[in-house]
This record gives sequence, structure tokens and C-alpha cells, in this order.
Amino acid sequence: MKRLLIAECFKLFRQSKTYYAIASILIIEGIILISAYFEGTNIINLLLDNLRKTFYFNGSLLNGNLLQYLVLNTLWFHLPLIIMIVVSGMLTAEYKDKTVQTVLLQPVRKWQWILSKYIVAIGFTVVMVGLLFLTSYWLCRGFFGEGDLVVYLDGLSFFPAAEAATRIQWSFLAGTISMVFFAVSSLTLAVILKDVTKTWIVSALFLIICNVLLKIDLGTAWLNQYALVKLNDTWQYFFQYEIPFRIILLNWIVSVFYISIIAAVGIFIFHKRDIG
Amino acid sequence: MSKIFICCWLLLSSSDIFSQGVDEDLIKMRQRLDSVLSFQVNLQLETDISFVNMPVKRALMRWEKGKAVQFTSKDFILLPKRGLDFSLRTLFEYPFVTLVRGETTQQGQTIKEINVIPADRRADFSIATIWLNTGLRRVEAAEISTQRDGTYFLQMHYRLPKDIFPDRVAVKFEIEKIKIPLNFMGKGTQVDKEKLKADGMKSGKIFLNMSDYLIRMIGS
Repeated sequence: MKRLLIAECFKLFRQSKTYYAIASILIIEGIILISAYFEGTNIINLLLDNLRKTFYFNGSLLNGNLLQYLVLNTLWFHLPLIIMIVVSGMLTAEYKDKTVQTVLLQPVRKWQWILSKYIVAIGFTVVMVGLLFLTSYWLCRGFFGEGDLVVYLDGLSFFPAAEAATRIQWSFLAGTISMVFFAVSSLTLAVILKDVTKTWIVSALFLIICNVLLKIDLGTAWLNQYALVKLNDTWQYFFQYEIPFRIILLNWIVSVFYISIIAAVGIFIFHKRDIG
Repeated sequence: MSKIFICCWLLLSSSDIFSQGVDEDLIKMRQRLDSVLSFQVNLQLETDISFVNMPVKRALMRWEKGKAVQFTSKDFILLPKRGLDFSLRTLFEYPFVTLVRGETTQQGQTIKEINVIPADRRADFSIATIWLNTGLRRVEAAEISTQRDGTYFLQMHYRLPKDIFPDRVAVKFEIEKIKIPLNFMGKGTQVDKEKLKADGMKSGKIFLNMSDYLIRMIGS
């Protein structure tokens, strides 16, 4: 199993598309950062418009924390898209090049081989989110400094700089779980569809549907809380004034359960299916 | 003849209402405030607005006669447009007249209720009511109706009878509930249109706690 994991890591980091994906993420991050800087002033003006009649403001809210929050808000669509392309490519490329047959002619267990892909996909996703966190942290604070964060979630909440940084770190952790969910889903789609283009299209469709359903009321409180698509916004809970840790923990447990089920389905299908 | 005399007397005495000057106790209080050349104080701000969550903030406030108030803080702070002007400079900036509404006694102290009415268009308030402690020559409470920023009610609390400036001020004001476009809202933020309509204006409060005054007065 260890050798399979090393082999999968080797393949992943040997292929040029992995580096294209990393470069894409960094370029998107840079663009979002620039637009967030210009958009940030409008957002602050919008948020504080009513307060402006009663208060004078002392200090600046357009700082590294706000920009990193805006980057967070925007990237949760772009990042899974790129992760899904790379991760699904880990299998569809093997189908396309017929290397899957070559590998499985060796004394390798099918379920172990596909499991190693799932594990490497999860690891890659964690690395990507980690990279995004570090780069956005350095860029935002390096260029725009620290300061209080203002967020609108059921009212205006102001967080002191240090607390805001901690909340952002936690939200990245929550976002990582969502990204793993998309990565695992795309690999399972690759198992089912085999074809590169079909998998990309269906993965993108899956992502869009998840994002659309996230904003739609599903009718019952239970569905709105625990439906598969509703868990991807758990990171936002870290910006509620009183962090609902119990809900977050429950969401994480349910998310891990969904991720495990989706991965298990993929492994099962791959294991049962003929290589051809 | 006597009727004409009474009529003339009544007319002259009633015209005194319209040609009122400034209440003497208010002048005394103002003179006391005018004796302050500068002050510096540590400020702690607590916000109580239903739709605003803000931790307690701290700032250093500096004021010097003839200059605007300055604040220093490493945090972002919301400062009420009224309530921090302890010298009531903005009320007395332009000519005004006063009208005494009555007197009450609270804890052995005489509190005079005085209306301050600006006599100059440049004043940014339309009317103010001051509850003045005539014995201690200081303001206990004030209600200021501004031209553009609504009405503010200030309640002062002093640590010692001799204190010229309060150690605690509660500022009550009216504020319009925030309305954010739907696309900016995050998870869990659902729009209750009916509630939003019914909400209208909200009242908010800000509590200012002052400590470690450094006051420089004339002759000190």
C-alpha cells in the first residue's frame, strides 16, 4: 500500500497539469485579491451606510483580514473546480492511456490501487488548500496589514484582528473538508464515467448544482442542515459572532460520513468492474 | 386708564419671553466648562445595537480648546456623533436662546430643565433639552435633536460631586436597520421581508466609560 501511495504521488507531481492547476489557483487568487481590494471599499461603504449617520469611524476596515475573507468567499467555487479536474484526471488519464490495465496486470489488488488514488487525492486537496491559505495570508497581510474584520451574517459583526485571523484559520480547515468532498466525488465520477471529458462535464455540473442548491431552501430544517450540498458552507459558521461549535462538529462528522460513503461507492464499483 | 396700563404691562412682560437671553445657571455651567483648556481620558465603548455585534473597544481621547477631539486606538471604533462633546461646544457654537421648562429636586440637588434653541441657521441642531444640576454646575442629561442625524439622548454619570466631566455616559439614538442586498448575504441569513418592513427605525445605545482623566484648567 505504501508503495502504491508513493507511486501515485510520483505520478501526480510528475504530470504538468498539476503545476498548471497550482499556477491557475495562484493566478485566480491574485485576480480575486486585486478585485477584492477595489470591491472592499464598496462593501464597507454598503455595510456601514446606516451607521454613518450616527457614528464617526476611527480606523480602517479595508485590511488583510477583510481581503482574506473576501478571497475565501470567492475561491470556494474556483478551487474545487480545479481540484476536481486534476483529481479526476488521476484516473481518467490512466483509462485513456490504458495504463490501468498495465498496472492491474501486476500483483496489485484493485481496491488497494484505487484506495491509494483516493488517499493521494485527499492529500493533494489538503496541500492545495494549505497553499492557498499560506499565500493568501502572506499576500493579504503583507500588502494590506492587519485590522478588525467586519462581516455581515445576521447582523454586522466586528472581530478584533487577532480573533479574525483565528476564525479565518478555522474556516480554512472547514473549507478543506468541503474541498475533500468535491475531490472524492470527482474521483468517484471518474470511476463511473471513465472518460476524461465526460467526467469533467459531470464534475462541473455537480459543482454548479451543489452551489445552486446551497442557496435554495430545501423545505425542512433537517435537510437544510444536513443535506449533502448544505454542508459545504460550514466555514461560514466561524464568522457568526458566537461560533456554534456543536453544529460545526456535527457538520464535520456528517461530511466525513458522506465522503466515506462516496469513496466507498467508487472503490466498490471499481473493484467489481472488469478492467477493459 | 388702568385697563390700558395693565394691557401695556402684560404686553411688555410677555414680550420678555420672546426676547429671552441665556439662562444664568447655564452660563455658569458654560463658564465652568470654558475653564478647561484641555483634557485626555481613556475611553471604553460598549455598543448595544440589535444588529451590531461589537466587542468592548478602547481608545485614548484627547481634546484641546479650539481644536477637534482626537482619538487614538489600535482597533476600529464607532464613535457616536453626540455624547463625546463633554464641553457641549457644538451646542454653544452659535448664538442661541434658552427657555426654562421647570425644576425638580433629585437626591437633594436642583435639576433645571432648559431648552436650548439655536438663533443661527448654521447650528446643526434644531433644539436641545438640558437637565442641569444648578448646585454642581454640570449637565446630568441632554436630549439633542439634530438637523440631519436624528435625536440623541445622553445620560451622564459622575464619580464625585466635584467632577466636571462624567465617568460614564449612556448615549441613546435612533438608527435605521441595515439593509443588505441579497447577493452579499452569507449562509443562515434569510430575508424576512415582513419583519424588515416592520422593523423601520431601531433604537441603539452606546455606553462610554471614562477613566484616568488628565484635565488642564485655567490657572492650573
